[in-house]
Amino acid sequence: MTNAVPAFALLLPLLLSVAGGLAVGLVKWKSLRHIHCLTAAVLAVDLAVTLAVCLSPAQRVLPLFTVTEGLQAVFRTDTLGKLFALLFSFVWLMAGTAAFEYMSHEQDEGRFFCLYLIVGGVLNAACWAGNFFTYYILFELMTLTSMPLVLHSLSHEAVMAALKYLFYSMGGAFLTLFGFFLFASQGNGMDFVPGGSLTGALDGMGLTAVFLMILGFSTKAGMFPMHGWLPTAHPVASAPASAVLSGVITKAGVLGVLRTVYYVVGPDKLRGTWVQTAWIALTLVTVFMGSMLAYKEDVLKKRMAWSTVSQVSYVLFGLSLMHPVAFVGAILHVVFHSLVKDTLFLAAGAVIMKTGRTRVTELAGIGKAMPVTMWCFTLVSITLIGIPPTSAFVSKWYLAVGALATEIPVVRWLGPAVLLVSALLTAGYLLTIAIQGFLPDKSEQDLPQGKCEPGWRMLVPMGVMTALAVGLGVWPGPLLDAANALAGLLF
Amino acid sequence: MDAFFQNAALRLPEICGLGLTFRIDGFRLIFAAVTTYMWAMSSLFTKEYLAHYGRKGRYWFFLALTYLATMGVFLSDDLYTTFVFFEIMSLASYVCVIHDEKPATLRAGGVYLAVAVIGGLVSLMGIFLLYHLTGTLAIGRLRDACAALLQGTAEQRKWLWIAGVCVLVGFGAKAGMFPLHIWLPMAHPVAPAPASALLSGIITKSGVFGLLVLTADVFAGDASWGLLIVALGAVTMLLGGTLAMFSVDLKRTLACSSMSQLGMIAVGIGMQALLGEHNALAVRGTVLHMVNHATLKLTLFLAAGVVVMNLHELDLNKIRGYGRKKPLLKLAFLSGALGIGGIPLFSGYVSKTLLHESIVEYIELLHEGQGWALSFLSVHQAAGLFRVIEWLFLLTGGMTVAYMTKLFICLFVERSADASLQAKYDAPGRYCTRLTAAVLAIAALIMPLFGMLPHLTLDKLADLGQGFLHGHSPAHPVAYFSLANLKGGCVSIAIGAALYLLFIRRALMTKKDGWRVYADRWPKKLDLLTLVYEPVVLRLLPDLCGAVCRALNMLSDGLLTFLVSRAVPAVFGFICRVLEYVTDGLILLARRTTHRQLKPAQPAPEGYRFAYYTGSLLNSAAARADRLLHRQPDPDRDYVLYMARRQTLFRDTLRMVRASVSFSLLMLGLGLAAVVMYLFLR
Repeated sequence: MTNAVPAFALLLPLLLSVAGGLAVGLVKWKSLRHIHCLTAAVLAVDLAVTLAVCLSPAQRVLPLFTVTEGLQAVFRTDTLGKLFALLFSFVWLMAGTAAFEYMSHEQDEGRFFCLYLIVGGVLNAACWAGNFFTYYILFELMTLTSMPLVLHSLSHEAVMAALKYLFYSMGGAFLTLFGFFLFASQGNGMDFVPGGSLTGALDGMGLTAVFLMILGFSTKAGMFPMHGWLPTAHPVASAPASAVLSGVITKAGVLGVLRTVYYVVGPDKLRGTWVQTAWIALTLVTVFMGSMLAYKEDVLKKRMAWSTVSQVSYVLFGLSLMHPVAFVGAILHVVFHSLVKDTLFLAAGAVIMKTGRTRVTELAGIGKAMPVTMWCFTLVSITLIGIPPTSAFVSKWYLAVGALATEIPVVRWLGPAVLLVSALLTAGYLLTIAIQGFLPDKSEQDLPQGKCEPGWRMLVPMGVMTALAVGLGVWPGPLLDAANALAGLLF
Repeated sequence: MDAFFQNAALRLPEICGLGLTFRIDGFRLIFAAVTTYMWAMSSLFTKEYLAHYGRKGRYWFFLALTYLATMGVFLSDDLYTTFVFFEIMSLASYVCVIHDEKPATLRAGGVYLAVAVIGGLVSLMGIFLLYHLTGTLAIGRLRDACAALLQGTAEQRKWLWIAGVCVLVGFGAKAGMFPLHIWLPMAHPVAPAPASALLSGIITKSGVFGLLVLTADVFAGDASWGLLIVALGAVTMLLGGTLAMFSVDLKRTLACSSMSQLGMIAVGIGMQALLGEHNALAVRGTVLHMVNHATLKLTLFLAAGVVVMNLHELDLNKIRGYGRKKPLLKLAFLSGALGIGGIPLFSGYVSKTLLHESIVEYIELLHEGQGWALSFLSVHQAAGLFRVIEWLFLLTGGMTVAYMTKLFICLFVERSADASLQAKYDAPGRYCTRLTAAVLAIAALIMPLFGMLPHLTLDKLADLGQGFLHGHSPAHPVAYFSLANLKGGCVSIAIGAALYLLFIRRALMTKKDGWRVYADRWPKKLDLLTLVYEPVVLRLLPDLCGAVCRALNMLSDGLLTFLVSRAVPAVFGFICRVLEYVTDGLILLARRTTHRQLKPAQPAPEGYRFAYYTGSLLNSAAARADRLLHRQPDPDRDYVLYMARRQTLFRDTLRMVRASVSFSLLMLGLGLAAVVMYLFLR
């Protein structure tokens, strides 16, 4: 039954999303309800199609078009793509549902949902990219289409942030192009093959090219020193947009790094080179810096953004070790961080929407007014710190054990130590909000009396993602199997 | 019996990634039973205690969660499982601690949570290292794996020690060990009394559980480790005892007492490692003191809870004389006080005697010249050192007697300063429900039962529990009431009496309005938390690291933005502008120099050279003057022509002059010739 999924299904979410997005954006709709229904339908169908593709065991290949000989756009299903596609479309549906409620407090809903759908479709398609060329096109498309989500409010700050986002993203993409041109000129097809498709050894130029590619894709993932756009752009977007920017779009950068290192170059060619050393150093600096600056930040959404900088670099750290156990940890952390960060941003959005408070210090006692929201916030905070039995504990366990097993001098113990210090800071910058929310040591004035929870369209996505974030820690079964299978394939 | 339990293991694969494993053996059975007993008693007591508080649902939920987690810790068969439940327990018990949500409570709870989270993470680091070094976390397999490492290279020993110390931080903090004891005297007094009982009685024991695994399995028989634990334990027990004597708060005294007793347990644990093969007494003493302390603290905190729920006061000067006419409360508290004071015939005596005897045994061993593996002290010096530790142990026992006497006399013997208040205290009437009274009575009965029948009760428990710590039954049963053993107890009691009469009654009480009142003599500033931890952890480190990170951020983001938005455009703009001008400039240069655009060079006309040059000069001068004066140049003006004309005129004139001069000269000559001829002719 599931084998009957045609290869065309790979393209379906993209086409549907673009068509749906254009319909939402260009047609004059009588009521917002219609926009919401159409968006929800498209998102749900996207998820369903992705699920069908993921469940179908046979590999599907869909050649799209050929630019010139050796430069062909092609879609192909593989384990990694399936994992990311499923995660992306699921989170997209969740954040989209929350946006129905949140965006009614902002202007230009049509434009927002138009772009939201298109970015979702492009992201979904990026997971199926079968070679570098295809991925690059979709990556750039995603940057261009997601940029308007940042400047949605059209305030001066938002426009400047969007420009910064654009400028960093484009800069990063150009860095990756360097490697592409170098390797393509040496006659490589840059196909995504597990374990690497590059032929021949890497010389100094080749290593530099790989490093620039890693740096380029890591720009999207907010790795030092290319992280600058993230704490600027994420907080100014609307809450659901920040949620997907932090939770999902950063993961597109991770996917790019994954594809480059593990599917184009091959980890064996990089292990022990200066590229690996430099990459590890950068990720560790980012992990610590992000947490530290989050701890020092007072604006709630900015704090979340810094937290993203730190947490996504946990993933990159796991990837940079090029060890199967750490790799499993990184893959798990991709999923867990997506769920957690989306919930955190949605909760922050709910607080902003209902009380207008944006600063952490203004949130004392908020738990009494918004118990469900703050419970979700607290639980995912505990998850992100990595307190067992929640999910991020499992991923951090694999990351740390993998780091120790690499036998890279200093990094093997410094890595886990930095992860734990960062976890402590995570407790410092998230748990304090939760504690102040529920147990204020001074009573905050003019908090709304009584309950002021957001509606079910925000609570349900938060609740579902919180349940997953906690539940997947207690029973990571299938996810862990998938990550292990992937590690087995690559190492 | 042990053999039966060996098979009772449970494995839940894939839960929490690595899978959880549980086992039940004698030791775990004891502590599962003690935990359940404590929770049952405390819960029954809670019913009345919390009757006037709100948010009961929250309390019960987290109480149940803490119970599950504590059971998980005691039943765990590998350190991974231990850690998972240890963390759940820390977090869940936090909510129980802060139940009344007063500012002081929240602060104490914050310290508790901070120590738990920091300690937990450091422990996690240790567990990572241990897992990496040994490849297993199963408690049963750690002993062999670690023994191999301890005998291995210096590098392996070093890393095992780092791992061990890291693990110790988290578990030691929970067990109230110096220098991470700070949370204990803060959090226990502010929690609801039944929760304090659990916190003091059993949750601290989960920390001891980790300590036991470290000592009995990871560092089995390692003398340096033993010495470390003994040293930490000794500091903890003395500090706890001293703080308890100085305290003027009922529950704080009990909390500091917990710290002191946990220090004693730690000394016992350290002795296990030092004694190696001969550790029977230390093992049995440790297990029994853990059990005894749990049941004792249950009784004492419940008794304190009765006072608190009636008076809502903890200050000794305010609750003074409350229990004078309350026989049940008095007896229950007395039973607990005698038990914890180590008075013969009560439970604490048995375990303290065993712990004391284990030190004495080790001193004897040292005198025989055995059992000392460390190089920095000779065997005899070591014997002296342990003689000191023995006396510190007895001194701590004495302190226990002293502060328990202080509490008992304050609550049940002395009268309140306010006579009307005392009358109110003494008025007959219900001060607790029947259920509470029953709970209190049952809790208090344990002490004499255990203390009077040690061979029937406590010895059996020790037999059950020692297998987990790799202890063996002693060759012959210990005669607890022999003269030699009673001597130790009596010395402690004597020290205690002296401390109470000479120190507490004199130094820690002042006269106020003719009444002797308890004075808080502990210097407020002398607090590790406000003196060291808070400035370092909350200010120094974050500010320092924050500044570094901010600088890094500025450097990368700021520099990148500056480079790309300012510097690079400026530099490249300049270069491009230069390049743009280069061609034009070259052409200009050429036109000025080599390819100057000139009027076709007219050869100066023959004979008019002078006119030509001067004329040209005048022409350019005139042109320059025109430009200077903004005058339209006269198109007809050409000084060359002008000069030429002048030159022609000049030349013609000259020629004419020359011609006329020559003619005149000719004429003159002719004239002269004519004159001469005329003269001749004349």
